[in-house]
Amino acid sequence: MAKIIVVTSGKGGVGKTTSAAAISTGLALRGKKTVVIDFDVGLRNLDLIMGCERRVVYDLVNVIQGEAGLNQALIRDKRVENLFILPASQTRDKDALTQEGVEKILEQLKGDFDYILCDSPAGIERGAQLAMYYADEAIVVTNPEVSSVRDSDRILGLLGSKTQRAEQGLEPVKEHLLITRYNPARVTSGDMLTLDDIREILAIDLLGLIPESEAVLRASNQGVPVTHDGSSDAGQAYTDTVSRLLGEEMPLRFHEIQRKGLLSRMFGGSRR
Amino acid sequence: MSLNANSADVAFTFKGGMLPMTVMELTSADPERIRRQLAGKLSQSPAFFQHTPVVLSVEKLDEPHLALERICAVCRDHKLLPVAVRGGAEPIRQSAWALGLGWFAPVEEGRARALESVAPFVEPEEDVNASAVSDVAATRLYRGTVRSGQQVSASEGDLIVIGAVNAGAEVLAAGSIHVYGALRGRALAGIHGNTNAGIYCRELEAELLSVAGNYKRLEDIDSQLLGRAAEVHFIKEQLDIKPLG
Repeated sequence: MAKIIVVTSGKGGVGKTTSAAAISTGLALRGKKTVVIDFDVGLRNLDLIMGCERRVVYDLVNVIQGEAGLNQALIRDKRVENLFILPASQTRDKDALTQEGVEKILEQLKGDFDYILCDSPAGIERGAQLAMYYADEAIVVTNPEVSSVRDSDRILGLLGSKTQRAEQGLEPVKEHLLITRYNPARVTSGDMLTLDDIREILAIDLLGLIPESEAVLRASNQGVPVTHDGSSDAGQAYTDTVSRLLGEEMPLRFHEIQRKGLLSRMFGGSRR
Repeated sequence: MSLNANSADVAFTFKGGMLPMTVMELTSADPERIRRQLAGKLSQSPAFFQHTPVVLSVEKLDEPHLALERICAVCRDHKLLPVAVRGGAEPIRQSAWALGLGWFAPVEEGRARALESVAPFVEPEEDVNASAVSDVAATRLYRGTVRSGQQVSASEGDLIVIGAVNAGAEVLAAGSIHVYGALRGRALAGIHGNTNAGIYCRELEAELLSVAGNYKRLEDIDSQLLGRAAEVHFIKEQLDIKPLG
């Protein structure tokens, strides 16, 4: 039976879709059969980040409304085996999603996959609530800034009350903190919240820390999840994150300012 | 209570209790003026005047004698039930007793007096336990972080939070609020008007502090106190915040 993981944040633009793409790619690279579902109906982005926008025929809403079968809508990733994408519809809005429809799709996918990642839209309304409702685990994506932390806090409250697990009194949704766009230099200068500040306020386990990186923007625009860029700091950080998600102990990296050696100062950082 | 079930000859037990009570703070001793104002209020919010028990507070009046009987009659005409008088000199205390009303010491010395008067009641051991049980029942214990957008309240007693209250969260209690963690959200103690309620926390960063409707915003709090353990009380008509311990 698949594990259902929602990638959520409350606030927009913090890196939910980037993270959903990178983590699902990482899971597939580790041999886990994974499907990633775009719940952002009306603002479809995941297909772009995954580089499969030209292959979208049917989408989540088509399946819910019975206009297409699930297998017709699932897109097989070109780069990694075991990875599938279920895109959102760009022409509809969140009202097209129904709870029964979502439940039916997840039930169907559960038997075939190891991991189901739900890429949540921003906000706390219907779309976000449906994306989290059936989750077993949640990855809460947070930037080191106060508004993002507060919105993540709000989402954590909803995970504890507005999910199936909460409503039926089952074991609560397992919550993971994923800090993205972390820039140690700006943290040191006081422009950004520190890792410890965020952990203290949100009080949940840290799953990963992704440094602010040029590689992320490049990856998004090329439609190649950053996990494939093994030479980049962000790519390595997502790989670490996936390992932790699979229960492995990984030391934390990229949270301190890197001392640049003479060579890299002369020739530019090779990590970027 | 089960504690007393085996002793059949027990007709009652004394229990400590904190009940919400409306205090009618008199600023005039003239029964006619009181009558006019009550008549106006009655037409505005008739729901409030349902034989509501009130404590007549005469602390703000500087008069040794009072037409207490007439004031009580005016109250009853408007469906308010005076049950006690608070403050006032010896003649007022005597006339309150003569009218079958209780008498409370003025607020300032109220705490010490209340303890004195309660102490003699505590006779046998089991009564102490019984009152402890009833207090515990009214107390609400919340374990975990109270997150932004969440509201946790104790409508009858104290609220104890073992965890932090984050920014954008709200905790409320009829009694006091104890936060064993950082208090970053809003805390409202004494929501039914209990001015003796307090707020205690390990780390003060609160957006808003209120005791019986008297509040201070984060902006009004002395920045020296922020980030420290603190206690908040209503003293001399204003919120008093000081370091804890």
